[in-house]
Order: sequence, then C-alpha cells, then structure tokens
Amino acid sequence: MEKQKNKYFIIENKIDQLSSLAEKIEDLADEWKLSQDLTMKINLVIEEALSNIILYAFNDKDKHEIRISISIDKNNLEITIKDDGILFNPLAQKKPNINLPAEERPIGGLGIFLMSQIMDKMHYSRDKNQNILKLNKSI
Amino acid sequence: MNMKSEKFQNFTVLRIEGKIDTARSSVLEDEINRLFDNGEKNLIFNCKKMNYISSSGLRVFLVAQKKSTSLNGKLYLCNLQPGIQEIFRISGFSNLFKIFETQEAALENKQ
Repeated sequence: MEKQKNKYFIIENKIDQLSSLAEKIEDLADEWKLSQDLTMKINLVIEEALSNIILYAFNDKDKHEIRISISIDKNNLEITIKDDGILFNPLAQKKPNINLPAEERPIGGLGIFLMSQIMDKMHYSRDKNQNILKLNKSI
Repeated sequence: MNMKSEKFQNFTVLRIEGKIDTARSSVLEDEINRLFDNGEKNLIFNCKKMNYISSSGLRVFLVAQKKSTSLNGKLYLCNLQPGIQEIFRISGFSNLFKIFETQEAALENKQ
C-alpha cells in the first residue's frame, strides 16, 4: 500500500492569506503529482471553508490561527480544518434550492453546498473552544 | 486574474483569465459594473482562460445575470473549461446562463 502523505498549513484569519495558501497547495499538488482537477477541488473546498471562518467566525479584531491539514493515500483524501471561532456547524446550514431561476436565486449560501457536493463525507465537531471540520473524498 | 473587453457587433466580450476567488472576485465585479455603467447591456463572458471559480465568483456571475435581466440585456458565457463546467453543473448555475461552446456561437446565438 502506498504510504500516506501529510501536510499542515497554518494561516491567520485574513482573506488576503487565501491566495498565497492556494499557491502553496498548488506547489504541494505538483510535488504529490495530483491531477489538475483534484487540485482545483482541494483548493475550492479549502477556500470555501476558510472564507466562511475568516468572515464569520470571529467577533473580535484579534489575530487567530486556522490550522489546515491535508492527507492523502492511494484511495482517500482527508482535509481537516480547525479554528477557535464561535461555534459554527456548516453541516447544519440550510441547503440552497439550486433549481430556482436566476431572479429568485439568493445571492450567496453556495459555498458550503459546493463543499458538500465535491466531498463524499463532511464531519463537524466542537472540542472545547475549537471548531473541527473533517472532509473526506475517495480518489 | 486578468480581464480584457472588446466590442463585437452589438456585444461586449469580456475575457476573464485566471482565478476568480474570494480575494479577487470584487475586481471582476467592479469591471462588470463598469461595463453596465457605460451602457453595455449585451455581454459575453469568454471564460477560455478562467481556470478556477469559487462561490464568491459564482455570486458575481449571478449578480451580473440579475442586472442584465433587469436591463433587458443579454448575458452569455462561452468556452468554459471542463472543471469550471462541473462547478456550474453542481451549483445549478448551468441552468441560469446561456452557455456556448465558442465565442462565435455566442455571437450568433447558436447553441
């Protein structure tokens, strides 16, 4: 069996950190020889999760660390994201109705839905002051 | 991300290149608003070199579609890369836009 590969990233709760993280993930994907399609999906899922956390999880103006781990083996991709923001369960959010015409489609609410469509499994837990979101996908 | 706009017949074609993510989507939104403010109401977004879009980018497309409808204008998309097509499909956005394979087909409204 192929050995599991792991990588950790830590970012601050600032939107401008997302683009440089995406570049680091692209470099990692090159190193791990992941397909372009899978790389885009990893970046998309991580961006959606992190932008929600950065924009909505913190009531103060303090610096917070958000920890991201990516691990991959022959058949499975796992992404874990930990933050110390307010309790927020993305899995408990209402699903958007994607069959509405443009005029009736609300602006927003799509990020978590995209994550759920791309990944096979999403698991949320709250541990003391931490939100832990674990995402899995068969590859 | 890069953008270029060009006039073709009664359409303005906006070429969108690179990544439309949370940090960059407002730049695209500003450019689209500038086109609407200039009185351009028939737009084609040529996405041939757009290789990434997140929900914040999709939001900008949706806002543009709503604006276009309110102006009785036309908004067409063309040349979506396969990965982008998939994002449009799973988000239900494929049904919200007229999507053409090529810019020529969009200009002629031939699906």
